[in-house]
Amino acid sequence: MRLPMIAAVYRKEMMDLLRDRRTLISMVAIPVLVMPLLMVVMTKVMSNVQERSEEESKTMAIAARVKTPAVLEAIRKAGYKMVDKSDLRAAVEQKEISVAVEETTGPKNILELNVIEDESNPASSFVAAKIRAALAALKEVRIRASLQRSGVPESVLSPFEVKQVNVAPARRMAGKIWGSILGYLILLMMFSGGMYPVIDMTAGEKERKTLEPFLSTPIGRGEIVAGKILAAITAIFTTAVLTLSSMVFSLKSFTTGQAAKELSVVPLDAGAVALIMLTVLPLAVFAASLMIAIAMFARSFKEGQSYLTPLILIVIFPAFLGGMPGLKLTTALYLIPIFNASQVIRTILMGEVTMLPFLVTLFANLVYAGIAAYIARTRFEDESVLFRT
Amino acid sequence: MPAISVERLSKVFHDKKRGEFRAVDSISFEAGRGEIFGLLGPNGAGKTTTLRLLATLLKPTSGTATLNGCDIVREPEKVRGSIGFLTGDMGLYARLTPREILQFFGAFHGMNGARLKSRVDEMIETFGISSFAGTRTDKLSTGMKQKTAIARTALHDPPILILDEPTSGLDVPTARTIETYILEQRAAGKCIVLSTHVMEEAEYLCDRIAVIGDGKLKMVGSMEELRAATGKHRLREIFLDLLDMK
Ligand SMILES: Nc1ncnc2c1ncn2[C@@H]1O[C@H](COP(=O)(O)OP(=O)(O)OP(=O)(O)O)[C@@H](O)[C@H]1O
Ligand SMILES: [Mg+2]
Repeated sequence: MRLPMIAAVYRKEMMDLLRDRRTLISMVAIPVLVMPLLMVVMTKVMSNVQERSEEESKTMAIAARVKTPAVLEAIRKAGYKMVDKSDLRAAVEQKEISVAVEETTGPKNILELNVIEDESNPASSFVAAKIRAALAALKEVRIRASLQRSGVPESVLSPFEVKQVNVAPARRMAGKIWGSILGYLILLMMFSGGMYPVIDMTAGEKERKTLEPFLSTPIGRGEIVAGKILAAITAIFTTAVLTLSSMVFSLKSFTTGQAAKELSVVPLDAGAVALIMLTVLPLAVFAASLMIAIAMFARSFKEGQSYLTPLILIVIFPAFLGGMPGLKLTTALYLIPIFNASQVIRTILMGEVTMLPFLVTLFANLVYAGIAAYIARTRFEDESVLFRT
Repeated sequence: MPAISVERLSKVFHDKKRGEFRAVDSISFEAGRGEIFGLLGPNGAGKTTTLRLLATLLKPTSGTATLNGCDIVREPEKVRGSIGFLTGDMGLYARLTPREILQFFGAFHGMNGARLKSRVDEMIETFGISSFAGTRTDKLSTGMKQKTAIARTALHDPPILILDEPTSGLDVPTARTIETYILEQRAAGKCIVLSTHVMEEAEYLCDRIAVIGDGKLKMVGSMEELRAATGKHRLREIFLDLLDMK
């Protein structure tokens, strides 16, 4: 392998990629434009749903089959129109009313108040929450009255108070939230960001008939594959960095609410970035090589797409599993590619990464990357792949 | 030693429909320096397959060939270093300009720096590419593309040129530019192997002609030798006569 040759292949691939509209759209336009758009639309939709369910709830009546006068009074005070229905459950289900309250008697003669709601209907949930709050307030008033009548001081109700004092720094908190999504996202982008460039430089070259003259030069097949893998990695990292930056920017700029505030602090310092890079690099080589090896079989860009799209779906699964919080792992599980990396990225972000899983992951993924790169190389030597008709 | 020496070269494809298919069947010939050697044959005769075997893009099923002293099976990379291969469909990078393509292919052949630059300029001059050297090749006409493709093939000044239908689809002036270049290269002592099914071109350009049909070499020789062997005068008649031969 000669470095100047690999560099020449790399430069050719990059120049070709950067002039391809499809690649530019998948690599730059989508991360930079779509992410902020998605955030804006999502926040809009979410606040719209909230507003609309409140509006809608005002137009709907409720029903109450309640004998206790004080309870009835409390429900009435919530301010909804009251109607009568024979079958309360059916009426709620059919959206004739938003909520129904039914008084029954439980064991030991305790009064039971069933608030019947349809949780799949936001308006119903909204009203039910208000009714429950009203009933809880009534319960409190009643307890206080009983205590007063029996001469017991109100302070028995709260002999002490429990307060939460959180010493976890903001970074840890953000790490916990980010950890579960970031590993997943990064790994997903390894594949989705590399897909178009890889198809273009394999099946695309075959389709456009440029592969044959390229292969008839004295460049080694290993040098060609190395140059192509490097170009694919460049595309992958560009997509990943752009997507993440645009995501953080959008969270900061376009969203409100506690979760968004916490998310907009990305728990990254130089050390964490370096560790994540180290985790992700062999995986990027693995992703690029695997996709090159597969897409080389295709005769056209379209065919390549139909081979690689299912691969992304397969990859999402272990990445998603690895991001789940609270997973306890044996060291052997760190041998599973993709899954291991998403797990390690999560612990890095939370500041809890340990040596053994990190090294096992790094080493295992290096081996997989080597195997995949070797297979990709053999694709460039196999004439039944190169001249598949 | 001849520039090209082909010995009982065969290529069998495994095809779903046809089963085992002998695209090149035990072909032998030699071509020397300062010689233009033509492969003449109908569609599907095995011309492109033979040229791909010589360019080491396919591995022979049996037999071998030496190009410039290097064996196509044992030293494919050395062989590729001493040939310029023009494929039938040019294969230019559509999003790159002729100048960029020439520069990259120079680099792939181990050229660099000032030597590469001056050689690229020289090729652009020789083939009259200057007016469109900075235009993306997907915006060029067929003739402009073919000039670029030939310039790319000859860029590293290889002792052997392998050209698959170099003038197909071109208008007469562009075809002439390319034919003139091929004749100049012969004068410079290069060995040129080209395929064609245009009789006039074979007759006009080639020192010796190999007539191929169904993967088999029917006959090799100069026009005079072919005439003497068949008793026909025009190449068209000779060609049809040889293809009928079993
Ligand atoms: N990769 C391949 N797999 C299977 N069969 C092939 C392959 N390449 C070529 N062939 C078959 O080999 C035969 C010779 O093809 P080849 O392209 O060498 O012919 P040719 O003389 O160049 O024809 P043309 O004048 O049409 O270019 C054809 O029947 C073709 O279908
Ligand atoms: Mg052909």
